[in-house]
Amino acid sequence: MAAQTLGHPFIGRIGGRAGFFGLTLVYAMLVAVCLGSLGHEGELSLGRNPVANIIKTAGEFARPSLLDVWFGDPNLEYKGDDGTVLRVEDRQAVELKYLAGLGNATWTTIRIATLGSLLGALLALPLAILTARNLAAPTMPAWIAGGVLDTARSIHTLVFGLVLVGIVGLGPTAGILAIALHSMGTYGKLFAESIETLDLAAIDAVRGVGAGPAQVFFNAVWPAVLPQFVSNHLYIWEYNIRDSTILGLIGAGGLGLLITEATSLFQWGRLSTVLMVVIALVVSFDALSRRIRGALI
Amino acid sequence: MRPANCVDLNSVICAIDGRILLDIDRLSIAHGERVAIVGHNGAGKSTLLRLLSGFMCPVHGTAEVLGRSLDRQLTSGELRALRREVGQVMQGLHLVQRLDALENVLIGCLGRRSGWRTWVRRYSPEDLANAGSALRAVGLLAKAAVRVDHLSGGERQKVALARMLMQGPRLILADEPTAALDPQAAAEVCALLSNAAAGSSQSSAATLVTVVHNPLLLPVLADRVIGLKQGRVAFDLPATQVDDSCLHKLYRADTPVGIVEPPQYPDNGFVMSPAAAL
Repeated sequence: MAAQTLGHPFIGRIGGRAGFFGLTLVYAMLVAVCLGSLGHEGELSLGRNPVANIIKTAGEFARPSLLDVWFGDPNLEYKGDDGTVLRVEDRQAVELKYLAGLGNATWTTIRIATLGSLLGALLALPLAILTARNLAAPTMPAWIAGGVLDTARSIHTLVFGLVLVGIVGLGPTAGILAIALHSMGTYGKLFAESIETLDLAAIDAVRGVGAGPAQVFFNAVWPAVLPQFVSNHLYIWEYNIRDSTILGLIGAGGLGLLITEATSLFQWGRLSTVLMVVIALVVSFDALSRRIRGALI
Repeated sequence: MRPANCVDLNSVICAIDGRILLDIDRLSIAHGERVAIVGHNGAGKSTLLRLLSGFMCPVHGTAEVLGRSLDRQLTSGELRALRREVGQVMQGLHLVQRLDALENVLIGCLGRRSGWRTWVRRYSPEDLANAGSALRAVGLLAKAAVRVDHLSGGERQKVALARMLMQGPRLILADEPTAALDPQAAAEVCALLSNAAAGSSQSSAATLVTVVHNPLLLPVLADRVIGLKQGRVAFDLPATQVDDSCLHKLYRADTPVGIVEPPQYPDNGFVMSPAAAL
């Protein structure tokens, strides 16, 4: 079998030590131009007093609203200008209620990310099979599938979301579809790469005993790619849990909505609480998926 | 009409991109014969095996294997029927890495089985028993449940042998079955291969075609030795007449080149079968 030519032909031609040096030079020049032009336009300012601002913001972040559940003032009095008590608030009860809402929002985020990821993976699978180079699909469908995957990967989840809200209306459906469409591009690329690492000798061997196409697929291709697919799926699922926190902006609900609320009201304490949940979610999901991946490979 | 020979090649030319890999005027291998193919790298040994297993079609001439003519008119069903009868033991990794030894052996019977059960690797008790005895025959029954990527090189080659036993082919093709094995494992694999070809009491002997590099293994594996050079048959002798000078001449690089200017063939000549399209 003829050796497959790897890599881009242009990059291939300018390879070698001189080529690498040239590429490094081009990169350095690009960075210099970016920095220089932005500086020239006066767009590299850090604001009027960044140090004071950062200390103030960090101080508010350091006092997450979560703490008020235990340490909040149970009889916080809101007073008017003349000293009369307008309203008495139990901070502990208010924050407890917020926490309950946070729990609900977390659950919504998990649901959006889970369904969106699964849909994205299912949509990507046929496209990945078409684009994997070693399966040598007909040129035209392969080209179209590649184009679809590239487009999906280039468009941000949020952009998909904003467009989809106009189609299916506000709510989790728009979020699920947005996540599915964007991650379809990433899934397609990873799946195609997994397929490209297939052991073709083993496939030929199974074909060599007279097995039919379906038998070859289920006995040689599937066992080899399944663990990689699962691993890719877990990775992007985790990514989507993070990604779906932005979808509050389009009214998909979930943690994103709480983040949008907190940032628009400058409630850094509450934002701090929400972010703690996001971090806990991502870290625990990562630990879980790492164990599953370890067991599979 | 059943042809007398297992393999019949008549002025066969195999080429990829106009480059001739194999140019055999006439070659016949009788049923039950044990043939070794020798020659340096690129002499066309592996191409010959690919031709015999239906992974390659000749661009010119006729090739008959087990009574089936290999050409592009061969339907995928006929090709599968042929491959069912042709067992292969190839060099290097050709097992499904993530399946265990028993499952790899069971792949040998896929050609005879069909239906969704083979998709989820559900086999009949009879097949399972046969696979077990195939593994016992190569001495690996104890490792039936071990994934093959956890086995040693010699053990993997034995699993491949067991898969071939499971398949029960009439023609066995072995491509350097002892490559990358230590001498003891190589001797064991050779003995197993030779026994497999000799057949059991109820089945007739299979034809064995082996590509070998080690001249010491020639007498174990073959009665007849075919030397290939530049895609052509350089000699075709009984194993007893093959001596060092004969092999030395074959492997020497400075012998006059047989094909000086290969004729160009317009198409690439390398046709994957319909069954090859996944």
